[in-house]
Amino acid sequence: MTRLLTIFTSISRSKRWLVILITFQLSLLTSSAQGFLKFERDSVPFFRGFAVSADLVGLAQMQLSDYGQYEGALRINLHDQYFPILEVGVGRANHQNDEVTGITYKTSAPYFRLGVDVNIMKNKHAPNRIYAGLRYGYTSYKVNINRQPFPDPVWQWDTSYGVVDEPCSQHWAEIVFGIDAKIAGPLHLGWSARYRNRLSHNDGQMEKTWYVPGYGIQDTSNLGVTFNVIIDI
Amino acid sequence: MRRLLLFAFVAFIAACSTIDCPVQNKVAVNYAVKTIVDGVEVKDTLTDTLYVWTTRSDNDDTLIFNRGINISSFSLPVSYTHPEDKLVFCLVDTNKVAAIDTVWLKKEDIPHFESVDCSAHFFHTLTAIRSTHKAIDTIFINNPKVNYDSSLDHIHVHFKK
Repeated sequence: MTRLLTIFTSISRSKRWLVILITFQLSLLTSSAQGFLKFERDSVPFFRGFAVSADLVGLAQMQLSDYGQYEGALRINLHDQYFPILEVGVGRANHQNDEVTGITYKTSAPYFRLGVDVNIMKNKHAPNRIYAGLRYGYTSYKVNINRQPFPDPVWQWDTSYGVVDEPCSQHWAEIVFGIDAKIAGPLHLGWSARYRNRLSHNDGQMEKTWYVPGYGIQDTSNLGVTFNVIIDI
Repeated sequence: MRRLLLFAFVAFIAACSTIDCPVQNKVAVNYAVKTIVDGVEVKDTLTDTLYVWTTRSDNDDTLIFNRGINISSFSLPVSYTHPEDKLVFCLVDTNKVAAIDTVWLKKEDIPHFESVDCSAHFFHTLTAIRSTHKAIDTIFINNPKVNYDSSLDHIHVHFKK
């Protein structure tokens, strides 16, 4: 055990995160072998259809602030227990001439997240569901960061500051906890809370960016929320 | 279930934001006063008084370091984007005799971004330094990376005894 701890603390932070994810997946598989996540034996078919969804939080962010995302998802229902999911979207930021710093930040790029949710309700076939899941996310984006020329504080020369179409990219992982409530017919409403952790990133020559499409405000980790309108098809 | 949905909505509305700009956000070149003892470079203390000037874009002189005495290190500002800074070092001894040297510092400038909430800064990579030698014996780059880290000695300067 001590040796395992030594190995764990000696690896880098992002790799440590991968180890946690793999351990979590293995524990799910182990639990599955013990029956916790085993497909229930009943008359309900294995393939239960698709669902499409749209996120309203990103949409509201886009309308109410200077960044946000349009995001939709396609989810497969496997026996009301496992839900492989693909989330795709376009994240945008347009922060113009900050009133304190004068900085303008623009980006617009697609992103995707791929993962699986597990229905952790005891009665898997109930109309409402509680999920736990994992995601892997990736985006490749370009940023424009600039500021109106300003005088050097000592030498007083006019100074230009910024980059144009600086290529950046980011890989990240998410742990998801969510709820899905059946409203009427094929219509469901649901929310999810997400803990995001950056796996690797390239932020270009300025070494940092601000809004990352699909991830949110740049940091080693952050929290996110989605509110989804879901339609079974 | 519907109460949970309501909770989620309230939590979203009540969410707050923070501004995380670095507290230490001064970018300056740190000079360490050194001397050689028994072939080894060691810390030295300046007994004379040091003044440093530079020339602004309007050709007026401006004092950027005033009355440095009994110092072993000092920090000087660095221009945001000018390719070479010209600094005038004036060392006044105890007999009020001044020795003046000019130092030319070449560098590459890298715009640095933290967040839209944090003011614009430049980091620098020092590429060359040279000087006249009235009071300065030797001057060289020890660490070329100039950023928020104020603990680095970027330049070592040896004054004549």
